[in-house]
Amino acid sequence: MFRFREALISVYVMWYRQVKRFVRARSRLIGSIAQPLFWMLFFGLGFSSALSFQEARSFGLGYMSFLIPGIVMMAVFFTSFTAGISVIWDKEFGFLKEVLVAPASRSLLIFGRALGDSTVAALQGFIVLVVAYFLTPTLLLDGIPIFTLTVFLTALTFTCLGIALASKVRSIEGFHLLTTFIAMPTLFLSGAFFPVETMPEWMKILAFINPLTYSVDAARKILTNIGFFSLPLNLMVLLGSTLIFTFIAAWIFEKTTVE
Amino acid sequence: MDVIEIEGLTKRFGDVLAVDNVSFKVKKGEIFGFLGPNGAGKTTLLNILVTVLKPTSGTARVAGYDVLKYPLKVREKIGVVFQDITLDRELTGRENLWIHGRVYGVNTSRLKKRIDELSRFIELEKWIDVQVKKYSGGMMRRLEIARALIHNPEILFLDEPTLGLDPQTRVHVWDYIKRLRREHGITVFLTTHYMDEAEKLCDRVAIIDHGKIISMGKPEDLTRQIDREIVYVRVDEADGFKVEKMFKALGENGFVEGFRMLEDKTLRFLVDDASKAIPKIFEVLQGFKVRIREVKYSKPTLEDVFLQLTGKSLREYEAGFVEHVRLYHRRR
Ligand SMILES: Nc1ncnc2c1ncn2[C@@H]1O[C@H](COP(=O)(O)OP(=O)(O)OP(=O)(O)O)[C@@H](O)[C@H]1O
Ligand SMILES: [Mg+2]
Repeated sequence: MFRFREALISVYVMWYRQVKRFVRARSRLIGSIAQPLFWMLFFGLGFSSALSFQEARSFGLGYMSFLIPGIVMMAVFFTSFTAGISVIWDKEFGFLKEVLVAPASRSLLIFGRALGDSTVAALQGFIVLVVAYFLTPTLLLDGIPIFTLTVFLTALTFTCLGIALASKVRSIEGFHLLTTFIAMPTLFLSGAFFPVETMPEWMKILAFINPLTYSVDAARKILTNIGFFSLPLNLMVLLGSTLIFTFIAAWIFEKTTVE
Repeated sequence: MDVIEIEGLTKRFGDVLAVDNVSFKVKKGEIFGFLGPNGAGKTTLLNILVTVLKPTSGTARVAGYDVLKYPLKVREKIGVVFQDITLDRELTGRENLWIHGRVYGVNTSRLKKRIDELSRFIELEKWIDVQVKKYSGGMMRRLEIARALIHNPEILFLDEPTLGLDPQTRVHVWDYIKRLRREHGITVFLTTHYMDEAEKLCDRVAIIDHGKIISMGKPEDLTRQIDREIVYVRVDEADGFKVEKMFKALGENGFVEGFRMLEDKTLRFLVDDASKAIPKIFEVLQGFKVRIREVKYSKPTLEDVFLQLTGKSLREYEAGFVEHVRLYHRRR
């Protein structure tokens, strides 16, 4: 028997936990905003003056405006992916057992957790966007509702991917391996720093199967009106990846034991 | 009425037989203790009973439900305190209790009352809005017990509830557990490797070693089986060679049936009649020019029962375990 109220409470409670934890850990907030800021300032400004970026100019964009949607999505991506794999910490610090022994649907509990982490990631994305707007006031802000949706789908996709991967890892070392071998390539192959269409063919293929490519492209389309794919296609792909990874995470978590 | 029924339960981790064909029953309202040294299989068994680990074979029913077929039903009826702290340290005590209560379906107004009640019960009302990471080990343990009680469980599972706590706090925790049973009729299943905990707290004890139950019953009945007295003598120096010769002399004397050297230079003698044996022990030790610091004698404890059954003391296991942990950490 599926009880709707109980289901909602399970989701809400785990959401609450993640958001509350974030609010408590101020250093995390500062770190996660400082990093994208450094990228924008040092990397972005440095690059745009050293190299007059051919592609960016042919788009009719300065490199900064090209880069900023990518950096916002980078912030969302890193925050959500790290939040997802931080299920490892729950394993290490025991809270996971408390969740496993609860008389509630594990799928809903983990979904609530993912929603909480996504909320946090989306929030950080917005803070970065606000900062970015001061650097490049030419950004278009009328697509904010659809931008919000993009950010949220991106966050949910990568939180759930993180959770799914984390369940296969037993140690903190694994956490660093995942960051290096999954997070870095995902970021570099997303078109956040350079356009997808000038990539070598083999790299393009990797970019096309990377959900983050569609997030970055959607953000760029919304904020600068320039993009490689169409916006509906971007959103369709993101919706698909969100559904797939949410189901995988829920399915894995449902079967978890303390072994 | 039996609220826990276990039949032929076995758990194997690869080559390790952690729980080996264990069967027993626990009655409603009982405080039942699982006493065993490190690695005996206590946590493994408890994890199976609370549905977070699947057995290799055998059956277990908890609160009337099979743990494999109806894990959710079982989880509704039980409260669990795991061996390691499972609190969210970033959150406050109240938030930890609140999250638990909501997930277990306690409604908000009732939950608020419950949290107030329980924080008073564990005497943490002043700390309840402080982040858990600022708590001491004993406070965390108490909060965990409160959390496990929020949803009014029928059975409370405690895995080594007083591990690593100072003696005063341990007595405190025992009091809470006794009050729970007295005032609310809760059944308590706990594991421990402290024999005093088993003796003073539990109605019935199962002694477990290498995954097998080697003896089970009321603590009094278990210790009564050893129809002997124990004499402890702390000495000034205890080099192994000398001690062996002393023991030999005492054994030939016929007063002493078993002996053993414990840590902190204490010699332990198993004797028929302490009042007669003590003068003899003095005599022999003086013959070896050993200065006596302290003497006491006692009725046998569960420690002695364990020693008799396995030929090893719980404490020796513990020393070995500390070594093991050290090695493990070094390897990391
Ligand atoms: N996940 C696991 N994988 C492999 N072996 C395990 C696992 N968990 C426990 N064991 C082994 O099973 C045996 C019983 O372990 P268990 O943790 O149940 O003992 P315990 O009585 O709770 O001991 P302790 O006092 O250390 O908590 C040990 O030999 C342990 O090494
Ligand atoms: Mg244990």
